[in-house]
Order: sequence, then C-alpha cells, then structure tokens
Amino acid sequence: MNKESKHDTWFRLDNSGKIFPEVSSHRETNVFRVAISLTEKIDKDLLQLSVNTILSRYPMFKVKLKKGLFWSYFDYNSKPFIVEELKHYVCGEINPKKNNGYLFRVMYRNADIIIEMFHSLADGAGVIMLLKALTYEYLLLTGKDVKPDNLISTKNQRPSIEEYEDANSKFYNRKNKKHVPEKRAYRIKGSPLSEDLTGLISGTMSTKEMIDLSRNNDMTITEYFAALMMHIIYVTQIQYRGHISSNQKPVKIFVPVNLRKHFPSNTLRNFSNFVKTDLVMNQDDISFEYLKSLVKEQFKKGMTKSELIRKMSENVAFEKNVFLRFTPYFLKKYALKIGYNMLGVKLNTMSLTNIGKVDFPESMEPYVKDVTAAVYSGRYNTLNCSIISYKDRLKITFTRSIVETTIEREFFRHFTNLAIDVEVESNYVEEY
Amino acid sequence: MKYCDKCKIKIDTKKTYCPLCQQTLSGEISDDLIEKYPEYISINRKVYPVTKRIIMFVTIVSMIILLVINFATYNGRLWSLIPIGSIFYFWILVSVGIFSKANIAFRLATLTSLLIALLVLIDEASLSEGWSYNYLMPILLTVCNLAISVIILIKRIDYRDYILYLLTIVIFSIIPIVLVFFKVITIIWPSLVAFGLAISILLFIIFFFPKSIKDEIKKRFHA
Repeated sequence: MNKESKHDTWFRLDNSGKIFPEVSSHRETNVFRVAISLTEKIDKDLLQLSVNTILSRYPMFKVKLKKGLFWSYFDYNSKPFIVEELKHYVCGEINPKKNNGYLFRVMYRNADIIIEMFHSLADGAGVIMLLKALTYEYLLLTGKDVKPDNLISTKNQRPSIEEYEDANSKFYNRKNKKHVPEKRAYRIKGSPLSEDLTGLISGTMSTKEMIDLSRNNDMTITEYFAALMMHIIYVTQIQYRGHISSNQKPVKIFVPVNLRKHFPSNTLRNFSNFVKTDLVMNQDDISFEYLKSLVKEQFKKGMTKSELIRKMSENVAFEKNVFLRFTPYFLKKYALKIGYNMLGVKLNTMSLTNIGKVDFPESMEPYVKDVTAAVYSGRYNTLNCSIISYKDRLKITFTRSIVETTIEREFFRHFTNLAIDVEVESNYVEEY
Repeated sequence: MKYCDKCKIKIDTKKTYCPLCQQTLSGEISDDLIEKYPEYISINRKVYPVTKRIIMFVTIVSMIILLVINFATYNGRLWSLIPIGSIFYFWILVSVGIFSKANIAFRLATLTSLLIALLVLIDEASLSEGWSYNYLMPILLTVCNLAISVIILIKRIDYRDYILYLLTIVIFSIIPIVLVFFKVITIIWPSLVAFGLAISILLFIIFFFPKSIKDEIKKRFHA
C-alpha cells in the first residue's frame, strides 16, 4: 500500500459496534480479553515486530475512532502501536488518549500473550482469528518451523473486503423485525469491589469429560453450563427468598451465538447474536432436572433461523431508521443510549460466552499450552463467564465486580463432586 | 501445585488461601512458579492538585459576586458578562490553546470563533457601537484563514485533518457579507476582504485538492 491509499482507509462501524462507544465507561467497559500461553518466555521486541506485521495485514485494526456529522467511523491511525506488560486490571477501559488512539491492547507476561479488545472493533470469534495470526507471526519470528495450514491468515495474503464487512446488514430481513419487549432481569447481588479491581477465577477441566457429561444429559456443553448457572444462581441467591420483591424478576442468562456458523460470512467484525434463558424463580422447588429441560427448549426456540434473523433485523432496523440516520451525532448519542436500555445490558443477569474450540495447525500445537478468554463485568452484570477450549483443556473463566465468590465456588464444586478434576487460576487479592 | 480439600480443586499459586472458599490451601509451592496474574496495585483516581482547585473555586465565586453586584445595581446593562466572558475565554485559551494536543487547525478555528463571540458580547454589553462586527470579526476571520492556509501549505503531509477546519472558517467568512445585506455591518471593506480571501481559498482547494475534499466529506457525512 502506498501512503496515499493508507490515508484513504476508513471503515464504517458495524451494526452492534455503533452502540458501544456511547454506552461504555470506566464501569461498563465493553472490553473482552483472549490470552494464549506459549512454552517460552515472551520476547517483547519480537512481539512488537509481529504486532506491526499483523497491523499491516489487518488494516481494520489499525484505526482510531472519529466522530462524523451523523455517525462515528474508524479512521486510519498513523501513530505507532505499542505492546505493554500485563497489569492487574482485567478488561479495563481502553482509553484511546493513553493508547495512541487504538481500541485494543496487546500485553505480555511471562509466557502469555494477551489481547484486550473494545467490542466495537470485533467480537470473540474475530479476535480469536487475530490471536492465531499474531501467535503464528510471533512463533515464526522466534525461529520456529510453523506452517499456517490454511487455518491462519498470514501476511502473505492480502486483506479482503469480506474480513471487515458488516454481515448483519447483509442478512437482515425487513419483513421480520418485530420488537419483542423484555422485562429487566434479576441482578446478582454482592458487595461491590473497588472500581479498579475485577476479580477473575478460571477453572480448567477436561474437554472430553465435559462433552461426555453433557451428552449423558442429552445437551450441548453450552446448554449444560447455562442450566447449571441458572441452578446455582437459584440455590445461592433466590431459593426460599421468593417473596422478596427483587426476586420476582426473571433470571436471564445471555448466551452469544456466533452467526458465522449459521450464515456464510468470514467477517472479523461483530457478527453475533444471542439466545437467553428466562425464568422467574420465586418458587421454592425448582429442580436442576426441570431447568435442564427448560434451557434446552428455550435454546431450541431461540436458535431457529427466523428467530436469529428477527433479532438481527430488530437491531439493524433501529440503525436504518430514517429519522435516526439523519439526526446529528451529538443528539443520536442519546437515542442510542435509550435503545441500549431497551435492548441492552439491564435485560441480562449474566452473560455466558462460549467461544468454542480453538484449532491450531499441527506444527504450532507443540508451542501452545493454553488459551483463556474473559469478558468485563460491570455494574449490571456483576458476574460474567466465558468458556474456551483447546485440545483437552476446557477453560471456564469467571470475572466479577463483587467480592463474593459463592457462585464460582458452587459451580466448581458441582464438578468436583462428580469426580471431575478442576485446576483453578485466579488473580485474587487476599485483602479487599 | 496446591490443593483445597474442601473444594477439591488444584491451584498453582504462592497465595495461602483458596480463592473460592478462603480456606488454607494444602500442598507445596511448585518450583520456579511465576504467578499467572500480576499483583494488584491500586490505580488511584485522579485528584486535581490543590492549586487548580483553589483557582477554580476563586473563579466561580468571583463570577457569582459579579452577577450579584450587577443585578443589585441594575441600570439596563449586563456589564458583568464582560468579565465573566473574559474569564471563560481565558480558561478555554489555556485548555484548548496551550494544553490540548488536538491539531492546530482545530485549535485556531475554535479559538478564533470563540474570540469573535467574546468580542461581540463585549461590544453589545458595553455601548453597542458595532466595532466588533464592523472591523474585528472580518479581520480575525481573514487572519485565521491565512494562518490555517499557511500551516497547510507548510505541513502538506497531513492536510486532510486540517482541511475540514479550514472549510469551516471559510464558510464562517461568508457571514459578514450576509450581515452587510441585513445592514448590521455598515463599514463594508473589511467584510469584502474576508469574503474575497475566503472565496479564493475555496477555489484553491477545489482546483488543487479535489479528491481529498470529497473523501473527507464522505467520511464525515456518511449516514
């Protein structure tokens, strides 16, 4: 690319990306993290070099956020990107002023490479592609004999338009966009942690054992975890307290669905939707068995093509609304905030993200030990959970903005009681 | 590897307690263990330095005193707006003009527009003689136009970021000539100079940077 064309590079924000800059703050950061553990200590300079390579391969990440008259947009960022050492804070706010305008961070610690990304730029599946490409370039620079095997986009490929298309507006259907109003969800209670602290606890289990366990229950792993989460929230927070007014609100677990698996698209931008479990739990005798069948049924209903398209179209229709489109940006901010309150974070009790299985080319596998994913937790979703698996390691990471760890404890004890080994990692601080 | 016999979990850490149930862990610390996550160091939230707080306090209190005196001795003129506007402008001058890292064209355009607004305010709040729009508005716009153009010509490399602010000031420069038609402005020559310069700059941009302008407008105005 010559200088002239680089300055012409700019991108529209995708449909879900448009909302995040307006609703994010230092409490609700909308940042998520993926991390990879390699076998050797990370060399900072080589990591910096490989990030530079990746940024010229993926121009959609070499951007800064700028405001236009009607919408904000991503403009080419000519400043250098700098990798940093990992700090304690998990998924903290990405302040473009302190980050040369970039909306993501690359950090390192010991043998780990960590990417934290603002949700406007990409979703989990997109960042996994970025992480794989970065790891590949890094291993190549350290002199390892690795091959991409068509699983990884290397610097030898040209960036394609398909990588940064807004797939939501491609598949949306004008006729199927009915808005279904929702009730506010139950909020997990606890004493708040100090603002600059996010607790993180992750547990690693065997993928095979987990698949067997959920198969025995005739469910997928995500369904099983969602049902278990409902059960544990019920047991630890609501059971025998059904008369309290806040417990009349439904418990809703928000589970993102990667739409790339349902619609043909290879975009790195946001292209995900969700299914939710939904139940008012003010009875004293809700059994785990009942929750399992309920979650299965609700997931089946939510995952039909027409329902997925409806939810997608609902959002796109909001964006395409003529009145909203031609409202100047400084007024539109408020419209987006109201829209987010209608469709957004207050409608979920917690989010449970399953990024799924991460595959590396065979030549890279000996150098990769582990992968981790985590999402931010804020004022409304005080506990969030993300799942990622690599070979026989299935890693569940809880991030919380409350002191209590009761739900995590009961969650992992459920598995240890079934004689499944759990290995825990935590960023814990022993005195709060 | 350490072990919690209550939760029955394994954990590799130097810490004493189980993160799940706060019970003491059993087992030995593994050799050459480096904690997976770094130590917690509190990020203190920014507290303004004392001097800044004192200056802010004095500023606000003096504004209140000015307003109170003005209304207590009201004689048909809001003279207190002159010092209050000047104090505001001083703070904007300090923050936008000196400490801001925004690009210079933006800073010049903002400061010029606000300075014009302040001068009009002073003119109106004092004797309403019209010197602010007759002379100072067109002259300041001319100077600002020239300044941004010269900066763009010298720093050709990133003119794209600057051109939009230049365009804004160029469009503002048409305002004096409109005011001439409404008979607000009675001395015509400064407005004519500003207008002539603005049109020349506009033509220069159209003839010499046609594509960049189109791109910039497309970017900023996409709906």
